[in-house]
Amino acid sequence: MMEFPEGLKYSKEHEWVAVDGGRARVGITDYAQDALGDIVYVQLPAVGLAVAADATCAEVESTKSVSDIYAPASGTVVEVNDSLNDAPETLNQDPYGAGWIFTLELNDPSEVDALLDAAAYKALVESA
Amino acid sequence: MTGTASTEWRLIDEVDTNRDPAEHMDADLNLLDGVANGLAPALRLYTWTMPTLSLGRFQPGTDVDTAACDRLGVRVVRRPTGGAALLHGADLTYCVVMPLPDGREGAVQHVYERIAGALIVGLRAVGVDAAIARNDGPPGPVCFAGQQGADLRVGDRKVCGSAQVRQRGVVLQHGSILLRRLEIDESDVTIAACHRDELRNATVTLEELGASTDPHDVAAALVAGFEQSLGLAFAPATLAAQGNTNIIGISTSASVSL
Repeated sequence: MMEFPEGLKYSKEHEWVAVDGGRARVGITDYAQDALGDIVYVQLPAVGLAVAADATCAEVESTKSVSDIYAPASGTVVEVNDSLNDAPETLNQDPYGAGWIFTLELNDPSEVDALLDAAAYKALVESA
Repeated sequence: MTGTASTEWRLIDEVDTNRDPAEHMDADLNLLDGVANGLAPALRLYTWTMPTLSLGRFQPGTDVDTAACDRLGVRVVRRPTGGAALLHGADLTYCVVMPLPDGREGAVQHVYERIAGALIVGLRAVGVDAAIARNDGPPGPVCFAGQQGADLRVGDRKVCGSAQVRQRGVVLQHGSILLRRLEIDESDVTIAACHRDELRNATVTLEELGASTDPHDVAAALVAGFEQSLGLAFAPATLAAQGNTNIIGISTSASVSL
């Protein structure tokens, strides 16, 4: 059963965003990890990297397929989940929890308002 | 992929085109850039004029025996796609670039299976009865030592290894079909627990299967396989009309930095 936790924001590129003040923790959704398959490598962004909304911010490899992960809003990377270096499969096992990828210091927290809520993201996925 | 029935794809036949190994990777990424900018999907077919070890996007350079590569005249390039080391030189390489299908049709395994279906139909026309591979789990350092969902086998032996990259709503998948064997193999140029006998037992070439090893024959069969399996029509095209190269984090030098 695909999970769409309430309280998170979602991008059309299948990232989730948990906003805490001016910061946003980012990961990939349950739908995304299922579509990618077994994840074997995560290329994390550098802390301090400034990213524009929708710019490539990380990469994942699953079953010999390399996929971009995008920044859902503009900001600066202030934290990355180093544990994924040794355990990339965490993205499959706990995408909304221990599988978070990076945290952004948002340039403009209102950018997140334009992202989807859980119901809208669920509808997007189910309509595809 | 649901809308492929009336789609015209570009066919870039470079079986006889002499390119530097690094240019091959640039050319494939160039196609990705073009499709991301609205050009039609493309199938490119090519061969390698010198023995070349291609590494997966994130494969450690320490997997390569650089001294052996120098001694044996083997070039090294890094692919934009995932997976493990693969020695080119007696293979036919295909590269498919197309918009990422919507929804579940775009899942990694689904795209692999659609393209595998086209390759299987094509190979059947040259007398090769291939099937989609078993899944051995995460690949080791040498591509042809294991099988994942992208690959093709004949019996239990791998005949084609494939990998993908997905950027900007476009999927690029390329793969290598073993026509013949070189005198050397991956066990000679990688630092890995991969032995020659093990590798030879895990793989099979078209020559060993009694099929044509002429890359023109195999390329023509693959084109027909894509047309039949995916309902496509191809229009001949060249890379020259493609547009600007867009290399993202990939070495374009002849000798990749390891």
